[in-house]
Amino acid sequence: MFAPSKLTQASRRQLALLQAARRWESTSGTKAPPAGGHLPSIATSAFLRQTRDSSLRTPGLRWADEDHAGPPSNALGGRETRKMNLYQAVRDAMSIALTKDDSAIVFGEDVAFGGVFRCTMGLAEEFGRERVFNTPLTEQGIAGFGIGVASMGQTAIAEIQFADYIYPAFDQLVNEAAKFRFRSGGQYSAGGLTVRCPTMSVGHGGLYHSQSPEGYFMGAAGLKLVIPRSPIQAKGLLLSAIRDPNPVIFMEPKILYRSSVEQVPIDDFEIPLGRAETLTQGSDLTLLTWGTPIYHCETALHMLANPPAPVAKHVPESLRKAKIELIDLRTILPWDVETVAESVNRTGRLVIVHEASKTGGVGGEISAEIQKRCFLKLDAPVKRVTGWDTPVPMQYEKFYIPDALRILDAMVETLSY
Amino acid sequence: MLRAALLRSHIRKQCRSYVRPTSQVSAEPYGHLPTSQSPITPRMNFINSVTPDGTQIPTYRVLDGVGQLLDGAELPELDEAFARKIYENMVQLPIVDNLMNNVQRQGKISFYMTAHGEEATMIGSAAALANDDEILGQYREMGTLLWRGFGLDNVMAQCFGNHQDTSTKGKQMPVHFSSKEYHFHTISSPLATQVPQAAGVGYAIKRDPNRRGKNCAAVYFGEGAASEGDFHAGMLLASTIPSPTLFIARNNGFAISTPASEQYHGDGIAARGPGYGIDTLRVDGNDVLAVLSGIREARRRCIEQGRGVLVEAMSYRVGHHSTSDDSFAYRPRQEVEDRKRIDNPIARYRKFLEARKWWDEEEEEELKDRLKKDVMKAFKKHETMQRHEVKEMFEDVYGGEMPWNIKEQREELKALLKKYGKDWEPWRSELKKHKGEGKELLEDKSS
Repeated sequence: MFAPSKLTQASRRQLALLQAARRWESTSGTKAPPAGGHLPSIATSAFLRQTRDSSLRTPGLRWADEDHAGPPSNALGGRETRKMNLYQAVRDAMSIALTKDDSAIVFGEDVAFGGVFRCTMGLAEEFGRERVFNTPLTEQGIAGFGIGVASMGQTAIAEIQFADYIYPAFDQLVNEAAKFRFRSGGQYSAGGLTVRCPTMSVGHGGLYHSQSPEGYFMGAAGLKLVIPRSPIQAKGLLLSAIRDPNPVIFMEPKILYRSSVEQVPIDDFEIPLGRAETLTQGSDLTLLTWGTPIYHCETALHMLANPPAPVAKHVPESLRKAKIELIDLRTILPWDVETVAESVNRTGRLVIVHEASKTGGVGGEISAEIQKRCFLKLDAPVKRVTGWDTPVPMQYEKFYIPDALRILDAMVETLSY
Repeated sequence: MLRAALLRSHIRKQCRSYVRPTSQVSAEPYGHLPTSQSPITPRMNFINSVTPDGTQIPTYRVLDGVGQLLDGAELPELDEAFARKIYENMVQLPIVDNLMNNVQRQGKISFYMTAHGEEATMIGSAAALANDDEILGQYREMGTLLWRGFGLDNVMAQCFGNHQDTSTKGKQMPVHFSSKEYHFHTISSPLATQVPQAAGVGYAIKRDPNRRGKNCAAVYFGEGAASEGDFHAGMLLASTIPSPTLFIARNNGFAISTPASEQYHGDGIAARGPGYGIDTLRVDGNDVLAVLSGIREARRRCIEQGRGVLVEAMSYRVGHHSTSDDSFAYRPRQEVEDRKRIDNPIARYRKFLEARKWWDEEEEEELKDRLKKDVMKAFKKHETMQRHEVKEMFEDVYGGEMPWNIKEQREELKALLKKYGKDWEPWRSELKKHKGEGKELLEDKSS
């Protein structure tokens, strides 16, 4: 019998608490809500699509069973959705990939029984152990094996159990997978390879169950790097990643596996790589992030407009009506410079939020490029709200992560610069 | 009711196999642990591949030093034409190597690596494989490509990096060959990365209905590369997730300056195979017939079992590690000269052919003349050939649409070439070496 890991137990606990909070909220006749209303959380996020209609109208969504060359279809009549959390959406994407592509295989440590985060539940039973199987505990081996399968034109979907453990495979990914096509003059490619790995902090992951190593891959030309924020995004982006002609590292924010729930279209659809998505429109400041911090940003936006009483004194009245544009970058490499630069040229201010440490992080690369493109339009220095330049510390995580308060503070500082 | 009875009998059987009654005399008087077949013993017994009396895994050999069949050795199936083809390929290798090595010394190519002393390992193994078995090499395996018909033109084009280089389009260092047509995966410099990849290639072959049971993935690596973690990963994967992967270790005694004695303490690479549950053979890598025979059988087992098989070919690196290495800085010249004289794989095989009247002095001279002329001709043809167009530098980083950053950087180089291309001597002279002299980039309107 499988013993649930501490992490999953904990996130389940967290989810239960959130649901309890929601229930309390819905029957709150006895107690008045605090001034300014309740702050949104992952469980109550407006960015999660709770109805079939809003789910089917996800921007950029492309049905994979339609002709891409033709005009996008608005006929959503026959399309169904199902309530899924992020791990179920990831599982759904892999199930579709395995169904439609006989060459596709799924492998990694402990994937056969369903995976330590349940992302491969039932896939081995459904598709057989030749297509969904465990590997020995060797990350460099998993990556190398996947490259070999991909070099033969087949589809390899590999899992690294935590992004923290991707470094033994760094050589295979950066020196081999990324350079495979280039160095062979286009004869060979590792394009059929997708490496999935859970990423970002989870509340109590300490040094090696919390990392956001996307910055280390920023300079690995030849790789693509994708981080989704929600179940719909995870499914659509993962299907794109699996079918992309390049090796893709797909990092799944593990705290969202159970906590983010939305109506996900059950058909085969893709969300394009290399494109950011604007979640809220604004004209005063651009807030750019990816993965888990999306939800901290959402909370921070509410706090800016309606600061909770204890922090209200830190938020000048004049800034509370500021219109903030929130952008989800989604693809880290190659990133969507066009959308970000266009936004910053309108707003004149940019705050970048990521969980990884600041020095050498993706935020540095983006601020340099935006500074170059938007120099004359910038009204304030580009600000980065990131993890500190320390390892992710166990009992200090609340002070480490770029939470809603730190984002709020960065927006206030940047707006009042 | 019935089910309960079945269950009871099943449990009884299980218990019997775990704990044998001690009254019963058997090879396992104390039974064995549930997770292993290892018999329990009261005697403490350490084991090692390094034995007190120095015994090691034997080396399989067919021909002795003068080309005579060893007592009890079996000749591999071999007709005259095939035997001669093997010899001609073996002789060709040092002729190409000598010329290219000298050419590097004259500064005409930037780098080269010879396979001196490993001709029998290369050609013997290539001859034992099917021509469409997938080869993943380290860098000293050019002989397998020549065996398959890759041709001297392609060798020269790659080493010169000219516009006929289809291996890498001038993007990699010399001897980093690549040929989809000849099932030869791209050589890359990082050592042993190809080993776990080979397990994946083997698995892909197994999953392809057109190739399952017909082909294997053959991966070559030196004894030095076998110290990398990727070697461990590859062997482990090909045995645990069974795939027809043939591991060919070239143990030539040196990894650059490091002798094998500083590379490992155990009984070579072969001693590791059984640890992974992999059929293993050590062959005399200077005996082309032992290599041929050994790899043939290894390949047969590999495909039949669908699991990894390891062959360690023992030889001696007669040449320097590369053109950037002077091996006399770490080994005596006399040792090398002795090895060349006493145990030359080509001479040994030639004696075998001559004894069977399949070869003579006259043919030898004719062959060497012809090969030298062919190599010179190919060399001359490629020496002055222009390189690929400069714009090729930005191609094939990604499949599909070129990302904005690469497009912009291509534009940046274009602007710089426009501005300085005629004024900056290092660029002016370099542009002349490329097809189109950079004009294709300057006139490119695509962005």
